[in-house]
Amino acid sequence: MTVLPFLVVGAASGTLSLLVRSRRGWSTGIALLGLAWMAIVASGIGSTATIDIGGARLAGSDWLRLFAILGSVVGLLLVLVDMAAVHEPDAPGVIVLGLASAVLALAAADPAVAVIAATAGGLAGVLVAAPLGAASRAAFVGSRELRALAVAGTLAILATAWLARPLDNLVAAPAVFGIAYLAFTVAVAIRFGAIPFHLWAARVADAAPGVALPLLMAWGPAAFAAVALVWIDQSVAPLLVPLTTERAVLATIGALSIVLGLVAALIQDDLEHVVGYTIVADAGFVVLGLAVLDPAIWEPIRTWLLLFVVARSALAAWVVAVHGAFGTRRLAALAGWARRAPALAVALVVIGAAAVGWPGLVAWEARASIASMALPGPLATLTVVAPLVGIVIYGRILLVGLGREGAAVRGGRGERPGWPVPRPSRPMVGLSRVERAFERAGHLGSAVLDVIWTLPAATRSNRMPLASAAVLVLAGLAGAVAGGGLGVPAAARAAPIVEPGPQASPSAAASLNIPGGSGGAAPGSVEP
Amino acid sequence: MNPALAGIAAIVVGGAVVAVSARDPRVTVLAMLVVLLGAPLLVVPTPGPLPILARVAAALLAGRLLVIGLRGDLVGIGTAIGWPAEAFVAAAAAVAGFASHGLGAAALGPAEAQAAGFALAAVAAAPLITGRDVLRLGIGSMLLVQAAILVRQGLDAPAGDGEQLVIALLTIGLGGAVAVISAAARAAGALTVADDGGAGRLAGGLRRADAHRPTDRELARDAASGSR
Repeated sequence: MTVLPFLVVGAASGTLSLLVRSRRGWSTGIALLGLAWMAIVASGIGSTATIDIGGARLAGSDWLRLFAILGSVVGLLLVLVDMAAVHEPDAPGVIVLGLASAVLALAAADPAVAVIAATAGGLAGVLVAAPLGAASRAAFVGSRELRALAVAGTLAILATAWLARPLDNLVAAPAVFGIAYLAFTVAVAIRFGAIPFHLWAARVADAAPGVALPLLMAWGPAAFAAVALVWIDQSVAPLLVPLTTERAVLATIGALSIVLGLVAALIQDDLEHVVGYTIVADAGFVVLGLAVLDPAIWEPIRTWLLLFVVARSALAAWVVAVHGAFGTRRLAALAGWARRAPALAVALVVIGAAAVGWPGLVAWEARASIASMALPGPLATLTVVAPLVGIVIYGRILLVGLGREGAAVRGGRGERPGWPVPRPSRPMVGLSRVERAFERAGHLGSAVLDVIWTLPAATRSNRMPLASAAVLVLAGLAGAVAGGGLGVPAAARAAPIVEPGPQASPSAAASLNIPGGSGGAAPGSVEP
Repeated sequence: MNPALAGIAAIVVGGAVVAVSARDPRVTVLAMLVVLLGAPLLVVPTPGPLPILARVAAALLAGRLLVIGLRGDLVGIGTAIGWPAEAFVAAAAAVAGFASHGLGAAALGPAEAQAAGFALAAVAAAPLITGRDVLRLGIGSMLLVQAAILVRQGLDAPAGDGEQLVIALLTIGLGGAVAVISAAARAAGALTVADDGGAGRLAGGLRRADAHRPTDRELARDAASGSR
């Protein structure tokens, strides 16, 4: 099956969900149905299935299929957590549309089409960053987000356009490739909110609903980064231009984002900011990976992209559940949270373990490969061990949770499940065995009806346990993916179908030692 | 130089100058519509009817969304340097774009598209860098992306039907995003919004760090508890 059904379901359900936004229940229901359907359809995407639409080729791949499945399942769980905890408007529809556009960008074989699709998808996030009818602060945040998206999109469109044609004369000026390469990779850094481009991202973390943060700051930019990776391998790497300065700039941005992002996350009091800055830190490894022009970077960077988006989505869901339970995201006001929400405490430990990892774990090895290929020895070692700061970040949150319960936690919802009404008593009055059997059957039917009638009220009164259960599932998924489960390494190794890269004439190519005189590294060349 | 393309490029650039200069939001939207309708025509050969129809429909829908977001009698701040100065900036950038057609290699598209792209990027710069008027900032963002697409039209082979469709989606998305932001600003009473952060300033006039601003929900809760 091609990727088309996935896109159609995503576009239809996302649009419909936003069109009926005034009826929040309907809007969320449509988004949930859409995400469930998308997960089913995604599992059928063929790794070599292609379709041409108006000259634009959409191609499937193992990695794309896994991205689509994980995105749909994670989106579904995020919406469930949101529904149970805080139920923000518009977020479900935006998640569906954003995911569909990210998959469209990944499926487009031509990077020029892919960057436009990835930019269009990012715009959906403006709807939740500046919700209709919100205050001027929201307008300010939305306009800054739009500016960041426009600048990043423009840089990427220009870079792809510059190197997309015959480069007969251009190959004599290697600086051109450096500028285009830097433009596209800086665009990726802007989309991720990497330091020093993090200001807009910090403001979005302030204003956007927590459940939409993973899409705005991780899933959408991850698709953008994957497109950049294909483009670099196709248009820049085959030219064998060293681009030392440009790569050093990128490596600096990546390393700074990792270290400063972790430090920022460590000192934050607002849990959504902790999510935002840990995403920035994780994205640093992606930026670092883009500084490597060796095809061997494909597997670790694509592995890391999948691992970090799932782990950060789980953390965002955890924050939404805590916020819904206790009405605050301030760590200072959350003393004792773990006593009232032990399932969430377990989930945080699993998420922390998946995010930090240890030597030998797929997540750790992916980070180590990226750092060792992008940075010299001591710096690489420092960057590899930097995520261990995560132990302190998660430990601090957990320690607060184990303290004496504060007012917000005491007044919040606990995880203990309950039933909204007492069970009706039905005494047995039959005398013979037949009478009693008949009576028991009747009571059973009544009990089933009692449960069915009370189910909506029970769901409402058990929102916290339901949210915690969904977060636990997400944490388990993050743990599984971090350990290399669900076929992540194999999918990361598989090569996508891409359009041919820039064409340089044989003579011009020879002047730069271009093998074959043509860009566009054969996808097969990235196979280990 | 192709006179027809040069004429369309002049209209597109003129629309961009008016869009960033006008104070009346309706004029701004109309000028932006001119840019969005004219930009797809700056290509050789002219696209088929279906892609053109998709781009025109997308432009009209984006314009409609902008109008919805700008209902009422709000007024923008317009340009600080006046429309003649904006026009000169655009003209200078257009000349630079025309003269540097291909950017170092043989181009597959018309020079007029690259010239218009450079002009649009030049007039978009000021609203993007200094804009406190959210409509102006949004229009700057739309113009910047259109500029990139125009430069792409000038450098590369004409976009296929599929790519035109994706560009149409991007146009609608941009229009919708600007409309949403404008509607949020309208709810606050003015198109010009300041980054007050909701938390005032620290002693010595320093702005609070972004990371430590209270969220809107917390501000609302604080306000509610303060009024009790």
